[in-house]
Parts: sequence; C-alpha cells; structure tokens
Amino acid sequence: MSSGMLYGGDEIGALVFDPGHHSLRVGYAQEDTPKAEIPSVVGVAPGDPIKLESEAKPDDSNISSTPSSWKYYIDTIYLHTPRPNMELHSYMKDGMIENWEYFEKMMDYSYEKIIQSESHFHPVLFSESPWNQRQKREKLTEIMFEKYKVPAFYLVKNAALAAFANGRATALVIDSGATHTSAVPVLDGYVISNAVVKSPLGGDYLVLRAREMLESLGLDLTPSVLIANKEVVRDKDKPRYTKKAFSFDITNSWMTYMTKKTVQDFQQSVLQVSESPYDERVAASIPMVHHEFPTGYHQDFGSERFKLAEGLFDHAMLGAGYIAATSAGMCDVDIRPALYSSVVLTGGNSLVQGFSDRLSKDLSSRTPGSMRLKMIAANGTVERRFGAWVGGSILASIGTFQQMWMSMQEYQECGKAQIDRKCP
Amino acid sequence: MADVRDIMELERPPTPEITKETILGSDKPKKKLFNAPKAPKRPEGMHREVFALLYNDTKDAPPLFPSDTCYKQKIDLTMRKPRKWTWMPFTNPARKDGAVFYHWRRPSDEPKEYPFAKFNKKLEIPSYTDAEYQQYLKDDQWTKEETDHLMDLAARFDLRFIIMEDRFDKEKFPIKRSVEDLKDRYFKVVGLLGKFNGDKKIYTYDADHEKRRKEQLKRLHERTTQQIEEEQFLLLELKKIEARKKERERKTQDLQKLISQADNQSETPKKTDKKIPKKKLANPSRPSRVDTSQHILQAIETAGIKFPDYKNSGVSLRSQRMKLPANVGQKKSKGIEQMLQDMGLELNPTPNEDICMHFNELRSDMVLLMELKSALASCEFELQSFRHQYEALNPGKTLTIPSQLLSVTENDNKQFNSGEIIDVVGSPGNPNT
Repeated sequence: MSSGMLYGGDEIGALVFDPGHHSLRVGYAQEDTPKAEIPSVVGVAPGDPIKLESEAKPDDSNISSTPSSWKYYIDTIYLHTPRPNMELHSYMKDGMIENWEYFEKMMDYSYEKIIQSESHFHPVLFSESPWNQRQKREKLTEIMFEKYKVPAFYLVKNAALAAFANGRATALVIDSGATHTSAVPVLDGYVISNAVVKSPLGGDYLVLRAREMLESLGLDLTPSVLIANKEVVRDKDKPRYTKKAFSFDITNSWMTYMTKKTVQDFQQSVLQVSESPYDERVAASIPMVHHEFPTGYHQDFGSERFKLAEGLFDHAMLGAGYIAATSAGMCDVDIRPALYSSVVLTGGNSLVQGFSDRLSKDLSSRTPGSMRLKMIAANGTVERRFGAWVGGSILASIGTFQQMWMSMQEYQECGKAQIDRKCP
Repeated sequence: MADVRDIMELERPPTPEITKETILGSDKPKKKLFNAPKAPKRPEGMHREVFALLYNDTKDAPPLFPSDTCYKQKIDLTMRKPRKWTWMPFTNPARKDGAVFYHWRRPSDEPKEYPFAKFNKKLEIPSYTDAEYQQYLKDDQWTKEETDHLMDLAARFDLRFIIMEDRFDKEKFPIKRSVEDLKDRYFKVVGLLGKFNGDKKIYTYDADHEKRRKEQLKRLHERTTQQIEEEQFLLLELKKIEARKKERERKTQDLQKLISQADNQSETPKKTDKKIPKKKLANPSRPSRVDTSQHILQAIETAGIKFPDYKNSGVSLRSQRMKLPANVGQKKSKGIEQMLQDMGLELNPTPNEDICMHFNELRSDMVLLMELKSALASCEFELQSFRHQYEALNPGKTLTIPSQLLSVTENDNKQFNSGEIIDVVGSPGNPNT
C-alpha cells in the first residue's frame, strides 16, 4: 500500500464546495486552501452585441428562458468593472442557497475556470448551514447528480467541518460570518440542530454601522475603480480627485456593492473590539489608526474603532458570548463540559481585531465555575476564514470516509430523498 | 542509536578498503545490522521519526537537538527504476452499492481489499417482527410506529441518544420525548427481546435515577459565582474548625498522658516498696536488678491496646471501634490473631455494643499477656545468666535458686501486677479513663 494509506488518507479526486454569503470556496480535497474564493454575487446584464467583454463568461442562452440573452459576470475581476445595466444579485439567503439559476451559473464558472475539469470525474462534497431545509438539500442533490453528473455527492454541516478542521469531533462552533453569527454544538460530528443559536450580527452588520458612521461624517466613499486620478492631500483635507467618465449610468446595486467593498476595507483595517465592554476613556487612550480612503482622503480614527466594533457584543441577547452560552445551555448536561472545553471559533468576521479575546472573556464570565473553558481559534487568516472548507478538504480525503458518499447508483435507485438519510 | 554510531563511526569494518563498493554501499551492511533485531520492520518510504512514534524501540533516546544531515533518507545509488503510480479504479466493500472510485495506486501492489473497509463497524440493533411486538413489546406510552422510528434512529446514529433525541421526528410524533425516555424505551425493548431470546446479559436502565442525576448536575452547573464562593468559604471554615478540634484533642491526649504518668509515678513507689523486700531477700547486693525489673514493669504498665475514643461528630460505624489502632505493631496483631484462632474466636465478630467492648478488652488483655510473657522470659533469662556468672566466678559451687523464685514467684508477681496494671492502663470500656 502506498504511504498515503498508512496515515489514514485516501484521496479520490473529490471537490469541496463551501458556499457562504460572502463568497463561495472551491477547491480539491486534500489541499490546504481552496483553489478559489469567488464572491457570492452574480452580475447580470442584458446580452450585448458588442464583443468588448469577450473575456467574460460566455452566456448560456439556451438555459435562460428570457427572450433576449443575458450575460453573467462572475468573480472579482468581472464584477469590479462597471457595465451598463449590470445588476448584482446574491444567490444566498439566510445561509442557504436561494436563487438556483444564479447558483448554477456559479457552478458552471467554477468547473470551467477554477477546476478546469469535467464534473463527472469528481465526487463533490458540499457544506451547508446547520439549519438548511430538507427541500433545499434535495434540490442541490438533484442538480449535482442530474446536471453535473457527479459520481458521488455528500452534504455536511459547515459547523461540523469547522470542528474537524480544528481537530475536534465534539465542539461548540462559533461561526461569525458575513450575515450572521451562530453557535452550533457538534457532538461526534453530528450537529445538535435543536440547540443552534444564531444572531444577525455579522460582518455585514459591522459594514452597515461603519457606513452609517462614515456617511454621517460626510466622507466620500467612491470606490477606487471609479477614480481616474487623485492628488495627495493633507490630513482631513478635502480630497481632490477626478472621476472616471462613463458613457452609461452605473446601476445602484453595483454602486452599493462597491461601496460595501470600500467600507469593508475600512472595517478590516481599522475596527477593533475592545477587551472589556466599551469605555470612552479607555478607548481614547489607545493609539489612533490611520486610514486612507480610495478618494485620497485620510484621517486618524480613535474611539470610533471600538465604538463600532462594540456593536457585535453589546447586545444583551445577540452578542457572541451570549449565544454561545445559550446554545451550550440548551444541550444535555452530560455533554456541556465537553462543549465548553472545546469552543471553536471560525468565520471571516471573527478576524476583527480583538474578537477572540473579547469572546473568550465574555464566555468565561458566563461559563459555570466548575467547567473548564478552552477556546480554539486558528491563528492563520486562511484557517479562520476557510475553516469549513479546510474541514471538508480533510474529511473528503480520509480513507474511511469513502464509504459515506451518496453515489450515482444510490441516487438512481432511491432518488434525491435519500440524501436526508445518507447525510444526517 | 544508529545515528550516533554513524557519527562516531563505531561499527565500521576494521580496515576500510577504499573501493567503489565501500563508497557507494557503505551504509548497507550497517543498516542490516541495526534493522535485524527490530521486530516490526519500518515500511518503505515512511519517515523514521514517524515510525518511531508508532513502534518505540526503547533503547533509542531522542536526539538532543535537530540535525540536518542525519535524518535525510540516504540516496539510493542503485539506480533502480522507480515504480509507477496509476489512477486506478477501486471498489469499497464497505459500500453496498459497489460504486467505483478512483485513486492513485501502484499497479505493482496486488489488488487487495480496500484497506479502510475493515473500519466499517456497525452496531447490532435488535429487530423485531410485528407478532413479537404485539406479544411482548406493547407499551401504553409508545405506539409501534414511534418505537420503529426509535429503533431506526438508534441504528442510524449508533445509539448516540442525544443526537437521536435531536433528530426525533417531532412532527409525526408530537409527544415530547427526553433523552431518558428514549433510553428507557430502547433498553426496555432490548431487554424484553433479550429475555425472550434467552440472552444472558440484559441491560437495565433506571430513567428516574438518570433524571435525578441530571437535575442535580444541572443545579451544580447553574450555581452562581456567589454561591460557589460561599461554598468555598464554608469549606474553608470547616477546615479551620477541624484543625482547631484536632489541636484540642491533641492537647487533651497530652494532658492524659501526663496524668497517667503522674499516676504511675505515685503508684510505682508502692510497687517497688512491695517488691524490694522480696527482691532483697533474693538478691540484696544487686540494686541494679531492681532497676531493670522496674523498667520491665514500666513497660508492662503501658502495655495493652489503647483504643482511641470515638468522640468525633457525625456517624461512624461501630466496627470502626474494633479496628486495631495504628500503633499496634505487626507482630502484636499477628499474635492476637493467633491467639484468637487458638481460642476459636472470630477475627471480626459482629460489632454490637457489648461484643465490641469485650472484644476490645480481650484483645487488650491479650497484648498484655504477650508482653508479660516476654517480660517473664527475659527475667528468667537474666536469672539464669546470673547463675552462670556466679558459677563461673565461684567454681565448684552451685547456686540453687529457690524454686518459688523461679516461675512460681514470677507468676505470682505477674498475676499480682496484672490485676493492678489493667486498672491503670484501663480499656476503652471503662468509664474512668
């Protein structure tokens, strides 16, 4: 036997997909990072006779039912270019896939540009949110088998995958993503679905608050793509720049998306969660952080950084510490110590500075005194952002997992309803 | 060790001839030497460090600091052709559908059963027929459909009852079932089926007990920090109180010792008074003997077993009072055992109040008897040795020791003393101690 098998792994060329609100992660199992992270947004514009955008994805007019053909723009490069009448749509809602048409476009793109291989060669492992609905799971199964003809398919809850990525089968997974933060207890690789607690405070909420704050300060949030040139100005001076001229109107959805990107940039580089509940004086004593906007405007940010980020924790019922404690409290008493002793932190929003420190502090104040609290938060950015994907990559390349797949044969025999039994 | 030996160049052939062979294949004979005694052979391609984690050949100490050169695999200079890897189909016997997957494998390896299939373990969940259910398993609380669903979940989740409770079909079966309910029903079904199938091992499950246990655990977990602090505080106080109590007990014991010593001192003169005339009769010129006998007497007086008083607060077993105190030596306790056996008594009689008291007294007397016996023996020995000394110093003369002095007097003495001594030493049953 090969040395690979000696260590318990057996790679069978599987693909791992981890759809999220912010992005879709795609890659081969057994690799340590996804091949690509594609924004979960599809740009749709009426098909143009002009062949300028020939590098974009060719449209699938045969699928689309609309009389005039549509063009779909996927992935960062194509999305960030303004195009006439291009509206941006997200296909996700509440952590679940909502718009199957756009989602299929995304899958087409992934196979063609990222994987660059035929879909019927690769078994596919998909992650899903712990509260995914049965009918959506069946729909996804159907699409994968019927349209993409995958040889085998499997669905796993992303919380379980994140726990695996951190080397645990039993854990309390706190996943702070773009649209929400959730606390999910995982026992022996099974999610306890009745004890899942989620709150709508995620990255998007932070962006919203930051944007409100920046707009109230009267700052210009023009994205960098629209700026033709700019001049160096002094601190807090009015920016001097010229906008690119376009012959068409820029759509609102595109503008919103790009502004969001600009604010996200600001949020990631400036915001910080204070270690203890927000205190004006403490926050004022911490050095300011300098930030320059795409327009060239720049200034120092002091207590605002903490005030904004505090929004993730200061809610009585929605703070991350609270939902974690609630979720653990809903589980059987016998497993609570196990959950508290491995609290796994994952999700891109948990990378906001100081997030993990504050969470562990909040949580320890809510942990019963007799229990040992241990928080596991991967240090690397990639590990934290792609926790579920990495877990999927590990799972799909384990030798003993290869018996778990729902194969094409099984699908043909028992139909899509089988997925609920095969992938609990 | 191989590395160290390599570095030290220990096991080299004594006269290294510089030939092509020695340059290219010098490590070969060495490798054989060291690998031969190892029982599990290291698979090809596996790093030695990893192998060492699996099989530890105890003689090998870990290196003190990492070194670059030694751990690299030696380059194989034989120019063998590398074996090929191919993307090959395989079936997994652990799957029922016979699906074909592909993986990289060496075609040179014989096609074996999929190596991970052996890990596919399934729990055996008993099943039942409709008739069996009607006959044995009917329950007022559970319908057959619900029981079927339970058994199905048990098989799917390998008896992870917490998950089973989580995934229980709440739409179809609106009655709320707790984890304990599920366990209770499951073990009842399994137990009943086992009983009628003649299984010997039948598990029972006490749902009420489990519920109470969980309730208690919950309450334990839900204590507030103040409550925990209060408890800690109380525990600390208890410790303090106990320490103080111990201190007090120690002091009373010291006091008692002093009192008993004082008593002894007041009594010993009496005894010596009684004895000295006797001894003076026998051996007037040797006052030192009196001293020794006095020592022996003193030893005897402290003999017997002091059973500790059980005045601790709270409940204690009476059998605890019969336990020999720790200061009774092994020899003595063996002696007691022997004597009890000779008398045909039990070693651990039923400890009711009377038996307990008398048993302790008896044993205390036994120890006393033993000590007296040994004291007698030593006295006799002394007497004999003096007689020999006398005979040696005055050759020709024999000292006839009056027979009444030999054992009769000693016996008298002893009997006389023992009565007194018991009073002095006392026993736990006596109220005057």
